[in-house]
Amino acid sequence: MTACTAKASCKKLPGLLELTDTHLQWTQDGKKAPSVRIAHSEAASLFCSKEGAPQTRLKIGLVGDDNGHNFTFSSPQPVAVAEREKFKKELTTIISRNRGAQDALPKPPLPVAAARSLSVTAVPTPGTSTPRPTATPLQASHSRASSVVDDRRPTPVITGTDPATEFRLRKKVLMANPELGTLHRDLVMSGQITEADFWDGREHLILAQLASEGQKKGKPGQLVDPRPETVEGGEIKIRITPQLVHDIFDEYPIVATAYSENVPNKLSEEQFWKRYFQSKLFNAHRASIRSSAAQHVVKEDPIFDKYLEKDDDELEPRRQRSEQVDVFVDLAMTFEDHGDTGNDKDITMQAGRQKAALPLIRKFNEHSERLLNSALGDLPPSKRQRTDEGEGSYTQIDLDDLHDPEASDGIILEMQDRQRYFNAVMSKEAEAVKQHDPAVVLADTKSKLQSTESKLTQLKIERKAGDAALIAMTTNVANRLDGKSRKNDIPDGLFRQMTTCQTAANEFLRQFWLAMYPPPSELQTVATATKAQRLAKQAKMIGYIAKTPEKVHALIQAAQQHGIDAIRVQNALKPILEASERALTVYRNKKPGQ
Amino acid sequence: MKFFIDNLPIIFPYDRIYPEQYAYMCDLKRTLDATGHCVLEMPSGTGKTVSLLSLIVSYQQFFPTKRKLVYCSRTVPEIEKALTELKRLMEYRISCAETEEERAKESSFTGLGLTSRKNLCINPEVAKEKKGKVVDAKCRDMTNSAVCEKGRADPGSVDLCDWHEKLGELAAGSQIPPGIWTLADVLELGRDKGICPYFAVRRMMPFVDIIIYSFHYLLDPKVADQVSKEMSKDAIVVFDEAHNIDNVCIESLSIDLTRPMLESAGRSVIKLSEKIEEIKTTDAAKLQDEYAKLVEGLQESLTDQTDTDAFMGTPVLPDDLLHEAIPGNIRKAEHFVAFLKRFVEYLKTRMRVLHVVAETPLSFLQHLKDITYIERRPLRFCAERLQSLVRTLELHRLDEHSSLQKIASFATLVATYEKGFLLILEPFETDNATVPNPIFHLTCLDPSIAIKPVFERFSSVVITSGTISPLDMYPKMLQFTPVVQETYPMTLTRNSFLPLVITRGSDQVAISSRFEVRNDPAVVRNFGSILVEYSKIVPDGIVAFFPSYLYMESIVAAWNDMGILNEVWKHKLIFVETPDSNETSIALENYRRACDNGRGAVLLSVARGKVSEGIDFDHNYGRAVIMFGVPYQYTESRILKARLEYLRDAYRIRESEFLGFDAIRNAAQCVGRALRGKTDWGLMIFADKRFARADKRAKLPRWINQYITETTSNLSMDMALTLSKLFMRTISQNPNENQTGISLWTLEDIQKAQEKQRQLELLVEQQGDDDEYGDGGISDSALMELDI
Repeated sequence: MTACTAKASCKKLPGLLELTDTHLQWTQDGKKAPSVRIAHSEAASLFCSKEGAPQTRLKIGLVGDDNGHNFTFSSPQPVAVAEREKFKKELTTIISRNRGAQDALPKPPLPVAAARSLSVTAVPTPGTSTPRPTATPLQASHSRASSVVDDRRPTPVITGTDPATEFRLRKKVLMANPELGTLHRDLVMSGQITEADFWDGREHLILAQLASEGQKKGKPGQLVDPRPETVEGGEIKIRITPQLVHDIFDEYPIVATAYSENVPNKLSEEQFWKRYFQSKLFNAHRASIRSSAAQHVVKEDPIFDKYLEKDDDELEPRRQRSEQVDVFVDLAMTFEDHGDTGNDKDITMQAGRQKAALPLIRKFNEHSERLLNSALGDLPPSKRQRTDEGEGSYTQIDLDDLHDPEASDGIILEMQDRQRYFNAVMSKEAEAVKQHDPAVVLADTKSKLQSTESKLTQLKIERKAGDAALIAMTTNVANRLDGKSRKNDIPDGLFRQMTTCQTAANEFLRQFWLAMYPPPSELQTVATATKAQRLAKQAKMIGYIAKTPEKVHALIQAAQQHGIDAIRVQNALKPILEASERALTVYRNKKPGQ
Repeated sequence: MKFFIDNLPIIFPYDRIYPEQYAYMCDLKRTLDATGHCVLEMPSGTGKTVSLLSLIVSYQQFFPTKRKLVYCSRTVPEIEKALTELKRLMEYRISCAETEEERAKESSFTGLGLTSRKNLCINPEVAKEKKGKVVDAKCRDMTNSAVCEKGRADPGSVDLCDWHEKLGELAAGSQIPPGIWTLADVLELGRDKGICPYFAVRRMMPFVDIIIYSFHYLLDPKVADQVSKEMSKDAIVVFDEAHNIDNVCIESLSIDLTRPMLESAGRSVIKLSEKIEEIKTTDAAKLQDEYAKLVEGLQESLTDQTDTDAFMGTPVLPDDLLHEAIPGNIRKAEHFVAFLKRFVEYLKTRMRVLHVVAETPLSFLQHLKDITYIERRPLRFCAERLQSLVRTLELHRLDEHSSLQKIASFATLVATYEKGFLLILEPFETDNATVPNPIFHLTCLDPSIAIKPVFERFSSVVITSGTISPLDMYPKMLQFTPVVQETYPMTLTRNSFLPLVITRGSDQVAISSRFEVRNDPAVVRNFGSILVEYSKIVPDGIVAFFPSYLYMESIVAAWNDMGILNEVWKHKLIFVETPDSNETSIALENYRRACDNGRGAVLLSVARGKVSEGIDFDHNYGRAVIMFGVPYQYTESRILKARLEYLRDAYRIRESEFLGFDAIRNAAQCVGRALRGKTDWGLMIFADKRFARADKRAKLPRWINQYITETTSNLSMDMALTLSKLFMRTISQNPNENQTGISLWTLEDIQKAQEKQRQLELLVEQQGDDDEYGDGGISDSALMELDI
């Protein structure tokens, strides 16, 4: 179960760091329960100390908490580094997978590698945006093992794709829901339930996962603006990741040109980036008008300066575009509609007086357009034009709520032998209509209702019953308040046991009822259980369910040992007991063979 | 649907009608019946254009007099929209026609739109030019009557425009088949048939029932003289989106001169004199002929010009034109050129002054006379004389002489008008500039001058807009008496828009675009966080307006450096209005694509700027409009100061009153862009503490003001956010209640309302009789006027 372990200290306390397939956990020496427990999905970033540093450290940042946790590997030097590398490797995959899943909140690319690895080796080709997470073989082998046990029927492939993808999807679902993951571990891996049974009725989770994976993720919107950070010693450092390189090339094709022309003949990879970030070109690309302040840092650079373009700060853009725009948004036509008249605008209303802001504004517009084109495809504008000109322009001026909704013709249902269908219905309907003449019904109802009013005034509620109801309600509220105010003093271990017992029993019950009354199969999976299989499953499940009271009893006893009110535990588990009872009764009363 | 207002059958191209639309039509009809003028304010996006066209077309088709409709709008997109609306209306009317005869009548109804040559030219040689002025000049070189004559007599000797020639073969009135033609349609027709769209429209104008063009074509005398001269007096004139009409009036009579223009004019004068010398040797008779004509009086020479020859209308209004012969001292061509030269030199010396000068036309003329002995009378004829000379010399590429034309117009204007104008010489662009860049402004201060002929000539002028409050301001400024003056509230079954006034940020620092605090980092940051927070919660499009270009450009830069825009990028794309209109159009189109696509975008733009006029941000194109600051004009501007002073002295409009009115009408115009129809919804955010003041809010149109409650008029940012979220959550629910009968009327509802109206009138009539009987025949007004 544990992928890797190592001796490591956290907050100067010695302990054991473990990486399981769901969590990264650290247990202080001498304690049983881990005091730091991080689910894989929470890991957001990873930092390592430099190689050769006196202490071998590893820092993990969490989602929404950059401080995270610091671990120091306490084994002797070479071992510690090796262990650290192992952790790093595993965690890197996990983190990159998390990144891939993080959709709504794209974080600026953080370097995964150690800070020193400034050289960039891979130049990603356009099109591969985020690295696709690869399944670790570890988890897959587990699943496969359990499916081998299941000899009655093969694990259904829900998504209709190859089993490997299916396993990956399942693993992802389990990773995403820690609760479900625990249940899976408790039941499937211990062999109580088969993999197929477990997923029976949970197909939608996998399908949802598949759908969300299939969704193409757009590019994050932010401008590519590598901000240098200052480290000790006054040096300025910019971290380069393959993603950043890709983005820079994408955003500034001129850099890509420079790269292809100069690397590796004139400059090495490392030199190229070093000089680029010191060049005027980089400064021109930075999305800031403060760049003039940094001018003194910028050096003359014979290689990069020749790629430098003039600032695009004239009133008319450097790159004139001739595409035809929709006449309803065409501002140029108004501009040309009549000769210029009148006095000049006052200085605040003359556009483009802040020359420094113009390149920035143009960059925004271009960047937005590029993002849009990357999502919608770079259609030539002529093709983008609406083909149905008349229709298109009418919809733009239409007030749709002024149309009578009932006036539309609707869609005619094409049906075979329509006449016959109506005949059949009509004959029955006609009888029904005869029985209910609306006028008669109305009169009838009216007469019935007339007396209601007088009856209502006569209505008297018996005092006793009213009081009883009120008292019942009051006690109910009081109980609830009482329950809320009372502290939860059940010890952690016992509580967890109770939860496990509860969820496990629930799962057995779910499986049992599923086998008893299979739902109308919306999803035609390859292996829908046959009747015999279902019977076998019922028998198996009822076996487990029958053990539930035993387990509950054990729990109650444990509670007594811990000195807790056993009644409370009993009450808490009462519903599950009742549910089990019910299942057992149903099973016993079931006619054999049914 | 079809219904009656009094006895007039109205055909309305929808199944339902908003009560506002019905009331609007009734008032419009009242105006037309009374042949008077009116000011109508109807909420933005409640189908103003369609109601207006629907009523007027019904009116035109019902009465045999066939009054022509001249419909003016601000921008080309709006003109195109109105044309499309009209086209659909006529299609609907044709489909509703009951008899064959009616159908023929509806089909023969013709409506056209007119815009410049640049927008309508299809001759590839000419249309490729970027500047409208060059297109005009090149077009004239190929189409004026002298060239045409030469070209037809001797084919191949000169370049003629094939499209124009082909058009000439068609009989008058048949250049464009009957029906409604949008600008795009006309262009297509031109391409199909090989005829010039521009002149086709120009020549069809006497035959159409509706002509749609921009304000300038009626208000700017230079253009109106060529285009709108032949409109009959009983035509109905509509100024739609007329909230800025006073500015258009003023602009059409104002001129700026700069030093480069004077240089260029000087060169033109030299060229002219060279040309005269040349002609003297080759074709002296021509000049002689012109001289003879001028002695007889100029009028004849002007009346025989055709639409292709006119190149520069007189800059003054028809009433102020002198109908007499040109003074003797500028009749001879070389004398006139010398005269021009002297005038240009005089202006050049004036430009050398290094302090600000403001003077009236009279004092300018006096000084001119003292220095150069140029009299007022010949100066008045400057523009006309130049026209005549250019035609005689058959000059090509007139765009090269545009500066000289401008100076001639300047001369004519300054010599014609004494009142309502001011000359301002500003040697420096800004107060702290050291290099002089002088501008000589001739500025018109009184909007009523330019619009006066329109009110005098046409019997019914309709001034309408979504935001034209306070209503009494316009009659005061434009000097006319409306017969109907009305504003309509918006009937809604549920509040489909939420106006919010944010006065402070979440840190409780007051926000304002007041000059003293607008660059305060706290204010900039608070403005920024409004944008960030709204870009998080609002779906699709957000439009943000700033009070000026200068402020927008500096705040965008500041936001970027503060990292605020980085937050916005996470949620939405950002588009910004740029100085170039084509570039901005492309950005706008991309903005709309981003909204359609669901990615969502923010558009940063300027109130009174290019985007704020004529572009709609309805439905997903604008779920929230944020107005950052109050869009006041730049009060340090000398022109504005002069105008304010004039308004105070002439019309008793206080400075602060006008400034507030002007700022609020622009703000209202910006936020009003977000709505079309009553199912559309949007947030309107006014972010400035000054919007909380009651006097500011009172100037907002009634339909917006009625939905600003006491609580929403003074909010901090987080309170506004909570309210906005709540609003969006409720508005996104499916409206279960039926709007019909309240904010939507069916035919029955109209009839019910009419019945009610009739009863009310009957009641009033009866009471009225009683009253009159009561005070013995003396009317109320007579009693009030009685001074005791």
